[in-house]
Amino acid sequence: MTCIKVKDLKKSYGSLQAVDGISFEVRPGEIYGLLGPNGAGKTTTIEMLVGLRTRDSGTVDILGYDPQVAPEKVKSGIGVQLQSPAMFPRLTVLELVELFASFYQDPLPVDEVIEMVGLTEKKKAQSRKLSGGQMHRLAIALAIVSNGRIIFLDEPTTGLDPQARRNLWEVILGLKKSGKAVFLTTHYMDEAEKLCDWVAIVDQGRIIAEGHPETLIDEHFKERALEFEQPAYVNEKRLEKLTGVKKIVTDGDLVTLYTETVSQTIAELFDLAKETGQPVNDIAVRRSTLEDLFLKLTGRRIRE
Amino acid sequence: MKTFFKLFAAQAKELLRDRMSLFWYIAFPVIFILIFGAIFSGGTNLNFEVGIAAESEGPVSQGIVQAFEAVESFTMHTGSREEELEALRAGNRSAVLVIPAAVEQLVSVPGGMPGQGASSSIAEPVKVEVLYDKGQQQTTSIVLSIVDQLLEGIEQQLTGKTRLLVADQKPVAAEQLRDIDFLLPGILAMAIMQLGLFGSFNIVSLREKKVLKSLGATPLPRVMLLGSEILVRVLLSLFQTLLIIIIGRLVFDVQVTGPWYQVIATVLLGSVTFISFGYLLTLFSKSEESGIGLVQLVQFPMMFFAGIFFPTTFMPDFLQPLVKIIPLTYLGDLLRHVMVSMPTEYPIVTSLLVLGGVTVVSVIGSVLLWRWE
Ligand SMILES: Nc1ncnc2c1ncn2[C@@H]1O[C@H](COP(=O)(O)OP(=O)(O)OP(=O)(O)O)[C@@H](O)[C@H]1O
Ligand SMILES: [Mg+2]
Repeated sequence: MTCIKVKDLKKSYGSLQAVDGISFEVRPGEIYGLLGPNGAGKTTTIEMLVGLRTRDSGTVDILGYDPQVAPEKVKSGIGVQLQSPAMFPRLTVLELVELFASFYQDPLPVDEVIEMVGLTEKKKAQSRKLSGGQMHRLAIALAIVSNGRIIFLDEPTTGLDPQARRNLWEVILGLKKSGKAVFLTTHYMDEAEKLCDWVAIVDQGRIIAEGHPETLIDEHFKERALEFEQPAYVNEKRLEKLTGVKKIVTDGDLVTLYTETVSQTIAELFDLAKETGQPVNDIAVRRSTLEDLFLKLTGRRIRE
Repeated sequence: MKTFFKLFAAQAKELLRDRMSLFWYIAFPVIFILIFGAIFSGGTNLNFEVGIAAESEGPVSQGIVQAFEAVESFTMHTGSREEELEALRAGNRSAVLVIPAAVEQLVSVPGGMPGQGASSSIAEPVKVEVLYDKGQQQTTSIVLSIVDQLLEGIEQQLTGKTRLLVADQKPVAAEQLRDIDFLLPGILAMAIMQLGLFGSFNIVSLREKKVLKSLGATPLPRVMLLGSEILVRVLLSLFQTLLIIIIGRLVFDVQVTGPWYQVIATVLLGSVTFISFGYLLTLFSKSEESGIGLVQLVQFPMMFFAGIFFPTTFMPDFLQPLVKIIPLTYLGDLLRHVMVSMPTEYPIVTSLLVLGGVTVVSVIGSVLLWRWE
């Protein structure tokens, strides 16, 4: 039983292939994450799924309907938060949530939803007077109040403070618990790792890797990531010779060594430092993350 | 239905909380009325230059001349028939009356002034020639109606008969028409136009700010959005009408004579005309800002050349074609007629057809060119 089924979805803007053959499926009770850098085609994809944009080719099935053929059927069954949400500027939070609730057959209770996103204190505030993060939370409330079977969230936590972000994660996990499917996009690897049952890493309109976040990492990394600031004199040749190093990625001053034998590599790195008389700065050892995976697959960082 | 109501309430609140827009839509026309009303209510009434040429110097002729001189809005000139006709041709008279010598025969009692004697039998009516410039329709119709009333009154006094049939006096008889009576409906017409033209750009603003896009992801039919917006503004037009009428009544004692349903129907027609015309204009502008510029470009000439502030007949001939293609001209004309019983300058049917035509063309154009994004 799937509620989103996408096959070979494509969209181009002039000569730019924004979405270049994406396929995936999402089931109820699942959180599906689209992960990728700016311009990867995430928003374009979401907007094609919710019936805001037409596609060039491929098939889309949302709750049994094609958003291009029966947009009203699709729209009444989903809730959507767009990346740059905008609302009537002079209506209050409460009025807007009530207004949106009136668009749907069986909306969630308005007060409850406002409480969920932590805007209870701002209920009476006009939307134009909300801060960026509050506006963002309002947009999420407007998506949730639909009580739709799928909730689409385009970068739900961008611009939120850490506290609000964690709260929102709880809200999203709550949606999943109530049996809804959540389709979200994000730049934040930790977010995808924490929330998603399935992530697809997109770059330049294509899915370059997908799977359960941990499985995905384990598949690609047996090694740990060793990060430090590159001393100008150390060239890659010498770093490669260190024991256990599988791959080196340099990104400006920052060097990441992927190694299977962390302690051995560190010891040798310090020896190298002693030998050249220069300290190794800002060294850190991390478990590999989706970010590393992206770096490994594309040679670029996901956030510039 | 519930959705529509919510949406209507939302749009109404949105508008009512926008003090700036409210000022322009509601307060601005009112201020206009107060200012212009104050300027013009200082006795500078509508004034017409009327020539009178009496062929006889007899008492009846003199009585008639006196009666005309008593009319406040007439500045009388006496002279020979030829002199006065010359002045009329030169454009210095609104009308010229020629009182034939035969009027003296109307009274049999020697020296009998109007009111005293009564001639028993008048074989046939004496014709008082009224000459006027056919080009100045509106002025002429006002002058003629005054002349008519006066002659009627004089005749009544001469014959001493009480009339069996008395026309119910119109509360605003032509002789009492003041500038403010002319101005008030015109400013209402202007307000309706502005509400329609500027108001339509709300949708452009919503489009630009991506509110439309955000709503586009909900099951709300967007036509409903448009419908509720139009309803809000039509109701605002009616409110505006009420406000202007009340202010006119309280401050300047302007009596609205027309039947309410006619006033309301005219306001609705004007409102719908300019709202749809406004939507058509939105489709020719990329952004809200450029759109507002476009509206200014359209509405300023309309405001000045549609005879809102003074009769269009005062405008030079070369501007007349412009006057005639401005829809506001017709709305103003209709409103003056239904509100203060001013004689229309254009046939009512023509005005209705023009406004209806603009509406139909605008609606069709808008539907064809409409874009949500
Ligand atoms: N309306 C448009 N017209 C032309 N190009 C567009 C349009 N919308 C998006 N693009 C281009 O398509 C590509 C994908 O854009 P999209 O918004 O889908 O990226 P994204 O993954 O959502 O990025 P971000 O993380 O910055 O939100 C970008 O290169 C963008 O410049
Ligand atoms: Mg995006």
